[in-house]
Amino acid sequence: MMAKELFPDAQEIRKGRIRIEVEPEKVGEIVKKLKDNGYDHFVMLSCIDWINDGQFELVYHMWSYEYREHVMISTRIPRDGGSMVTLRDLFPQIETYEREIHEMFGVDFIGNPRLGEFILEGWPHMPPMRKDFDTEKFVKDFYYKIPEVKEE
Amino acid sequence: MMKEFELFVGPNHPGVTGNMSYHLWVEGATIKKVETRVGYLHRGFEKLMEKRIWMQNVPLVCRICVPEPDVNEAAYSMAVEDLMGWEIPERAKYIRTIILELARLGAHLLTVGGIAASFGLYTIAQWGVGDRDYILDIFEQITGARVYHIYIWPGGVRWDLPKNAKELITKVLDYLEKRMPLYEDLLIRNKVFIRRAVGVGIVPKDKAIEWGVTGPNLRAAGYQLDFRKLEPYAAYDSVDFEVPYYPKLGEYEVLSDGSDIYTRTAIRLLEMKQSISIIRQALKEMPEGDVILKHPQWFAWKVPAGYSYVRVESSKGEYGYFVVSDGGKKPVRVHVRGPSYTHGINVLERIAPGMNIADFSPTAISLDVCPPDIER
Repeated sequence: MMAKELFPDAQEIRKGRIRIEVEPEKVGEIVKKLKDNGYDHFVMLSCIDWINDGQFELVYHMWSYEYREHVMISTRIPRDGGSMVTLRDLFPQIETYEREIHEMFGVDFIGNPRLGEFILEGWPHMPPMRKDFDTEKFVKDFYYKIPEVKEE
Repeated sequence: MMKEFELFVGPNHPGVTGNMSYHLWVEGATIKKVETRVGYLHRGFEKLMEKRIWMQNVPLVCRICVPEPDVNEAAYSMAVEDLMGWEIPERAKYIRTIILELARLGAHLLTVGGIAASFGLYTIAQWGVGDRDYILDIFEQITGARVYHIYIWPGGVRWDLPKNAKELITKVLDYLEKRMPLYEDLLIRNKVFIRRAVGVGIVPKDKAIEWGVTGPNLRAAGYQLDFRKLEPYAAYDSVDFEVPYYPKLGEYEVLSDGSDIYTRTAIRLLEMKQSISIIRQALKEMPEGDVILKHPQWFAWKVPAGYSYVRVESSKGEYGYFVVSDGGKKPVRVHVRGPSYTHGINVLERIAPGMNIADFSPTAISLDVCPPDIER
């Protein structure tokens, strides 16, 4: 069944692109339902920082080779202390995307045992893909400092 | 009881396709467990793109994938066009097709050379790099740059092909066509290669789609799926080409059940032949006319708010751009889906256990793992 039939509320952005907005707790169920209905290719998991709304938007992208249709399942979680249940059991590659989002945005994925260092190493600062992480300030603070010359 | 050792492959290792490493747990010569280690190459492109205006990001995106930068330019431009609602001129579509297929030829030459080198067949590797240089020469004449072309642009391509483009490209295609039998004799019909590559590095066919395998790796597993056919972009719906897949290996012998190093290499060689044919057709059928839309001022672009996901079929698999705009002068978020993200991490980590150490590098290279698209 096509996404529009499964979810009548789904919005068609353009031909072959469907967007569904759902509550975080329903995502797992929807991804599973789509997987069972021909949307067998999990494309990727994206995170968007809507800093003014105080929310992160997680977008689960799925594609059906059969219907040639791409579905984006969007859900919003709080920016501070937000968490999501892992979906690594449905598609193994979700695990890697969750590792990256955990590291780059600071979202906790409950049930994913591999959260931890992925790309960054020994990073004590704010997750760098958050909008309030100021790259220029960071670079100035860490690399542009002129070491003090100590007088003997 | 045999002792377990830890083995670190990379980040500076001839068996790794760039700056990444693998942490192997081995018992004797058998791999027990693999973890892919990345982080040597992260350049923060996605973060940088949020700080730059739409136009400024074109010179940035091509740097995401070194062996095949043009797919990035194409996908990013297509995403901007999608949000803007632009339809690009017909001639630009054909030029994009030519550029993307030339890039595919170059990338496949590097990969096929890499696969051969991982078995110690260095002649092919040298040839591959050498022959790719003729393609880079074409790029230099068309775009002014050899590696990062910054030629495909939202709204079309930056300028028309030079007057002698047809002769220039045809000459190189003729040359490559003459070279193909040599590659075949030295690689695909080479007993050394056959004994090492057949039945090695198998991605389970029934898991291929679920694990997110795309591109030549998916076609080697027996699926005739190609985004140039499924969601045609540029001028791919106007040119005639075949999608080689297992077990339809054309003139090459089917020696295995597919999805192994041998089949993946054969598929890439067959795709090169198709690319040559596509470029010839595009050169012949290309209409005259404009190559770029008459834009409003580049620095003043405001892209309507919305979500766009656009994909292209790169030499490595599905290359996607997820672009989000809030209607402003800069993107809110650009997320790049690189094919190596799945091939190099979750697929490789699952298929490597049980493999001999000597088969590991050829498997990784035959999956065409390219670290730059894992770390954007």
